[in-house]
Amino acid sequence: MAALAGVLVLAAAGCGGDEAEGGGEPRLVVSAASSMTEALTECARDYAAADVRLQLAGSDELAAQIRQGVKPDVYAAANTRLPDELHDEGLLSRPVEFATNTFVLATPAGSEIDAVEDLRREGVAIAIGSESVPIGAYTRETLALLPRAQEEAILANVRSNEPDVKGIVGKLSQGAADAGFVYVTDVNAAGEELEAIELPAELEPEVTYGAGVVEGARDPGAARAFVEGLVDGPCADALEAAGFGPPPR
Amino acid sequence: MIFRIALGAALAVALVFLTLPVVAIFVDSTPGELIDSLGEPGALDALWLSLRTTATALAIILVVGTPAAYLLATRSFRGKAAVVTLVELPLVLPPAVAGVALLAALGPHGIVGDELDSAGVELTFQTAGVVVALTFVASPFYIRQAVAGFASVDRTLLDASRTLGSSEARGFLRVVIPSAMPSLVAGAALAFGRALGEFGATLMFAGSLQGVTQTAPLAIYERFNVEFEDALALSAVLVAVSAAILLSVKLVQGSEALGGAPR
Amino acid sequence: MLRAEIRTRLGAVGLDLTFEVGPGECLALAGPSGAGKTSVLRVAAGLVRPRWGRVEANGDTWLDTERGIDVPPERRRCGYVFQEYALFPHLSAWQNVAYPLRGMRRAERRRRALELLERFGMRELADARPRTLSGGERQRVALARVLARRPAALLLDEPLSALDARTRAEASRELAAVLREVRVPALLVTHDFAEAAQLGDRVGVIDAGRVVQEGTPSELAAEPRSAFVADFTGAVVLTGTARPGREDLTEVELDGGGAVASTDPGSGPVAVSVYPWEIAIEPAGEPAHGSTRNRLPAEVLSVTTVGNRVRVSLAGAQPIVAEITLDSAERLGLRPGVRVLATWKATATRVVGN
Repeated sequence: MAALAGVLVLAAAGCGGDEAEGGGEPRLVVSAASSMTEALTECARDYAAADVRLQLAGSDELAAQIRQGVKPDVYAAANTRLPDELHDEGLLSRPVEFATNTFVLATPAGSEIDAVEDLRREGVAIAIGSESVPIGAYTRETLALLPRAQEEAILANVRSNEPDVKGIVGKLSQGAADAGFVYVTDVNAAGEELEAIELPAELEPEVTYGAGVVEGARDPGAARAFVEGLVDGPCADALEAAGFGPPPR
Repeated sequence: MIFRIALGAALAVALVFLTLPVVAIFVDSTPGELIDSLGEPGALDALWLSLRTTATALAIILVVGTPAAYLLATRSFRGKAAVVTLVELPLVLPPAVAGVALLAALGPHGIVGDELDSAGVELTFQTAGVVVALTFVASPFYIRQAVAGFASVDRTLLDASRTLGSSEARGFLRVVIPSAMPSLVAGAALAFGRALGEFGATLMFAGSLQGVTQTAPLAIYERFNVEFEDALALSAVLVAVSAAILLSVKLVQGSEALGGAPR
Repeated sequence: MLRAEIRTRLGAVGLDLTFEVGPGECLALAGPSGAGKTSVLRVAAGLVRPRWGRVEANGDTWLDTERGIDVPPERRRCGYVFQEYALFPHLSAWQNVAYPLRGMRRAERRRRALELLERFGMRELADARPRTLSGGERQRVALARVLARRPAALLLDEPLSALDARTRAEASRELAAVLREVRVPALLVTHDFAEAAQLGDRVGVIDAGRVVQEGTPSELAAEPRSAFVADFTGAVVLTGTARPGREDLTEVELDGGGAVASTDPGSGPVAVSVYPWEIAIEPAGEPAHGSTRNRLPAEVLSVTTVGNRVRVSLAGAQPIVAEITLDSAERLGLRPGVRVLATWKATATRVVGN
C-alpha cells in the first residue's frame, strides 16, 4: 500500500514540475496557428530564454480553448480579429501585429489550373478552410469579391471544409483536391509538391497575424518577451525565412 | 478488509471519472437550448450522415466479417496467427495513422489509386470514403468478438445439424449463428460505437463537407471552434443515441440469458 | 439392415471391423475409451471419411471408398444421438424436435413435434429450453428429434452415460422399448458393459480397433474368449422377473428357475448382475450359514486358473461365473460335473433393468 502511494507521488511530481530541470528555465506554452508550424518549430526548440512548447491548430480552435478556460501563455493567430475578440473579453493582453502572410491559390505541382477562373470548371475539386478558421474566412472574403456567378460556381466545387490550413495542404499533396486556398508559407513549406498562384491585387486580402499574452499566464514576463520576439528576434527571423512578411507599419 | 475498501475506492474513482464528462454535457444547458441548437442547419445533416454511414459500414462489416470470423474460429491453416494479427491491426492504430494508411492505399496517389480511378470509384471527398474509413477502423472490434463467439460454439451442434439433414451452410445459419449471437451482438455494438465516434481517419481520408462527409464528430469539432453551446447540443444527442444503442443491446442479451432459470 | 466394413487409421488407433445389424436389432459395441468406438459411429454417419470403408443402409450405399461414393451426412437418413445430446440451446424442445422437418408449414411441424414429444411424455415441456431440462428429459428430446426424421438406422453414442444413476435405470428401460418399437437397425457404442448388456441384443467387444468377441451379453459374460473380454465384461448377468419381497428386498424369479434377492428396487422384467468375485461356492446340500442370501444350485462346467484366482464356470438355469481363491477351489475339490451351490449376498446383487 505504501509502495503504491509512493509511486503515485513520484508520478505526480514527474508530471508537475519541469521547473526543476534546466536550471529554473520558465516553461512557455504557445498556442499558434498551424500555418506557422514549420517556422516556429525550429525557433521554439532553439529558444534560449524559456522552454517553449508549441500547440498548433486552427486559430479558431485555439481561441475556443482559451474561452473554455484553457490557459496557454501565448496566443498567436493568423488574423487580428480573434486576438481582438479575446482582448475584448478580457482573456488576452492587447494584441501585437507581428507578421503578414500572402493568401494564394495552391495546386499540386504540374497542375493545369493557372488562375481563379479555372476553378469554376466542372469537376474541379477544391479544398478550403471552414468558416471559422482564418484561412476559411479569408477565402470566403475573397470569393465574395468575385462576380456572383463565379463565386457560386467556385463554391459549388468545394469538396471539403478543413479545420485548419494543414488539412488543405494534406488534401492537395495527396492528389485528392485539385486546388485549395492556403498561405504562401504553406506552399513554401511543402517544397516541390505544391505550386502557388498569386491572386490579382484587388482580390488579395490583408492577412495580418496578431499575438498576445494570455490573461493568467504563469510567467507573463517571459510570455511578453516571446511575443516581442515574434516582431524582432530569432523567431521573427524564422518567420521571414519561411516567407512571412514583416508586420504592417 | 482494507482490500475491499481499496476495491470500492477504485470503482468509485473509475465511475466518477467516466461519468462526470458525460453528465457535464447535459448539465450546462437546458433541454430547450439543446433542442434549439439542433435545429441549426448542419446539425441534423451531420447526425443523419453519421447514422447512415455507420449503419452502412456496420452492414458491410457484418456481411463480410461474419463468414471471415467463422473461418478464423474453426479452421487452422498455416499462417493463421499472422492473419489474425493483420485483421486486428486497425484496433491498435491511432485514427490519424489509420487515415494516413487509407490514403496511402486508396487515395489518388495510393497503391491502388490508379485502379480505383479507372474503375470510376471515387472515395476521397465522397460519402463512400467515409464508409470505407469507418469500416476500416471498426471491423476488428466486431471480428474479434465474432471469432470468440464462434470458437465457443460446441462443434457437435454442427455435427448434429448435419445428421438431422441440414447442409453445412444451413447449419451455419440455423445453429451456429444463433448460438454465437450474444458475442455477435456485443461485437456489433462495439463496432457501431467505434464507427459512430470516428473522427481523425474520416477527416484525413474523406474530408469534411456538410451533408456529404461531415459526420457528427466532425460537426462537433467545428462547432466547438465557434459556439460551445452548439457543440454541447450535438454531443448530447450523440451520447443519447449511443447510450440508447448500448442499453438495447444489454436488454437483448439480458432477456436471452434470463429465458428460463436452470433447474 | 445396416452393414459396414471399415479399415482406417485415426491417430494412433487402427480400425478394422465389419458388422451387420438387422432391422429392429441393436448391436452394442463396447470397449474402453480410445478404442475407436465413437469413430465407428462418425464413419457410419458420414462425419468422417475412413481410408477404406463401405457402409450400406437399407439397400442404399452411403459410403464406398473404392467407388468414390461418399454421401454427405445431411443426405444419409441416420439418427445420431450424441453423448451429451447436442440439443440446440437457442431452440425450445419442440423446435429442436421439429428441426429436421422440412417442406411443411410451421403449424404442421409443430403438430408433428408435439406428437413425438407426447410419445415420450414430454408434451408439457414442449416450450422449454434445453438448459432448463434434466438429463433424462434432454435424452428424450434428443430421441424424439432423431425419430422425427424417420431414420434408416440409429446411431447412439453412450446414450446413458450422461445420466445420473437414478435416471439411468428408467431411461434404459425406455430406450430399450423405443428401440424395439422403431424397428430400424441400431448401433450403440459404450464403454460400460452393463449398458451394452441392457440395451444390446448382441454385444461386440472392441479392443484397439478390432472386435475381439461378439455374442449375446450372457454369452460374453459366461464364456469370455480372452482375458481382455473377461476383464471387460466382468459381471454375471441373469434375467428374470422382479417383484417387491419381504424385508425391503426385491425378489427376482429367474428365467428358467431359481430365485434371488436384491437390495435394489425393481419390478417386472429385469436383469440382475453380480460380479464373479462376489460369488462364493459351497458344497451342495450344505445348510445355509453366514449372511449370504442368494443360493443357486449349479453344476461345475469348467475351472480355469487366472493368476492366483480361479474362475469357475457354472451351469444353473442360467450360466454363472464365480471367481474364488485357489485355496477355496482346492478345498472344494472342484471339477467339471461336481454339483455345488453358488451363493452371494443380496447386497451384491444389482438390478439393472431389462
